[in-house]
Amino acid sequence: MSHDHGHSVVVPAPGPGFLPHTVAHHFDTPKQEFQAAKLGFWLFLATEILLFGGLFAAYFYFHQVYPETFKVGGAQLNWRLGAVNTIVLLLSSWTMAMGVRSAQVSQKGKLLMYCALTVLGAVIFMCIKFVEYQAKFDHGLLPVFGGMHDALGQQLQWYTDHDGVMAGVPHGNLFFSIYFTMTAIHGLHVIIGAGLIVWIMFGAAKGRFHANYFLPVDLVGLYWHLVDLIWIFLFPLLYLVP
Amino acid sequence: MSAHDHAHGHDAHGYGPHHVTSTKTFVSVLLVLLFLTIITVAASRVDFGAANLLIAMLIASVKASLVIAIFMHVKWDTAINKLVFLSSFLFLSLLLIFTLSDQATRGDDDPLRTVKLPVDNGFVQPKPHAENH
Repeated sequence: MSHDHGHSVVVPAPGPGFLPHTVAHHFDTPKQEFQAAKLGFWLFLATEILLFGGLFAAYFYFHQVYPETFKVGGAQLNWRLGAVNTIVLLLSSWTMAMGVRSAQVSQKGKLLMYCALTVLGAVIFMCIKFVEYQAKFDHGLLPVFGGMHDALGQQLQWYTDHDGVMAGVPHGNLFFSIYFTMTAIHGLHVIIGAGLIVWIMFGAAKGRFHANYFLPVDLVGLYWHLVDLIWIFLFPLLYLVP
Repeated sequence: MSAHDHAHGHDAHGYGPHHVTSTKTFVSVLLVLLFLTIITVAASRVDFGAANLLIAMLIASVKASLVIAIFMHVKWDTAINKLVFLSSFLFLSLLLIFTLSDQATRGDDDPLRTVKLPVDNGFVQPKPHAENH
């Protein structure tokens, strides 16, 4: 089994308007390349589950200790905006699944359209998130440096809760620490995911993805579904605090 | 070179057989997910006491399973990929079960909390710091 270096396996384009794919030289077959990449990506997604899992553990732990704090904190959030964002992410997850499907059956135009719709979903999601964050900042509910002073002895205006919405419950900043940490890390994933989908669109426009080679579309799709997966749990836990 | 030659055969180009999910399946899953979102909101309006958290997590788990199985194609994926991804939920459940059962069986040493008697296990609870404020 001596493979000649420089004679990589080439996967042909399925028709005009598409580009052939050269299998990386350290793989024998396209299938081997596909399965190795997929296994690696599932491993990465497993670490993502554990990253968010630690934060969910923090949520459940403190929810168990201070249920009233979480009830009052959750009531400060606009559940209607949270519900709209849930629907936006579910729809965008569907458009991404349809995008991967379009790549699998070599429909370049549809792949581009579904990717564009998915990015649109990401933009709408982040705009709503921005409006929500802005309202919380205005109430002084960003807790990061609560009670800290700057070099001149001036108190940093991070968690002031100057409208006293959390005054009646212990450790009011706890709920908002968890809210901002979880939604910000999730939002970061939304931004990275949208960026990756735009990158897919550049490749798709050149005809790189088709029935014989759609690996990057598949992997970016999995990443986007993970973003949706996390939000499915974040919405009821943060906005509809049980 | 037989394996290599085979790769040049027409059928072996690309990834071999892969599952293409029908549009109808994707649409059905989307409709179920949207319906379950309405159920999530509706269930949160009813006071089931402590069961509310359980109900919300149950509905979310059904939604998550649909996304994983159909949108993420796990249903048609290889056994090793299923094992790698789904095992992360096993490890997550270990983290949650031990952390939460530990917390639930502890006494209370936070003076800001509503008074709860320490669990009588013979262990002497540390005194809260005098005059915290």
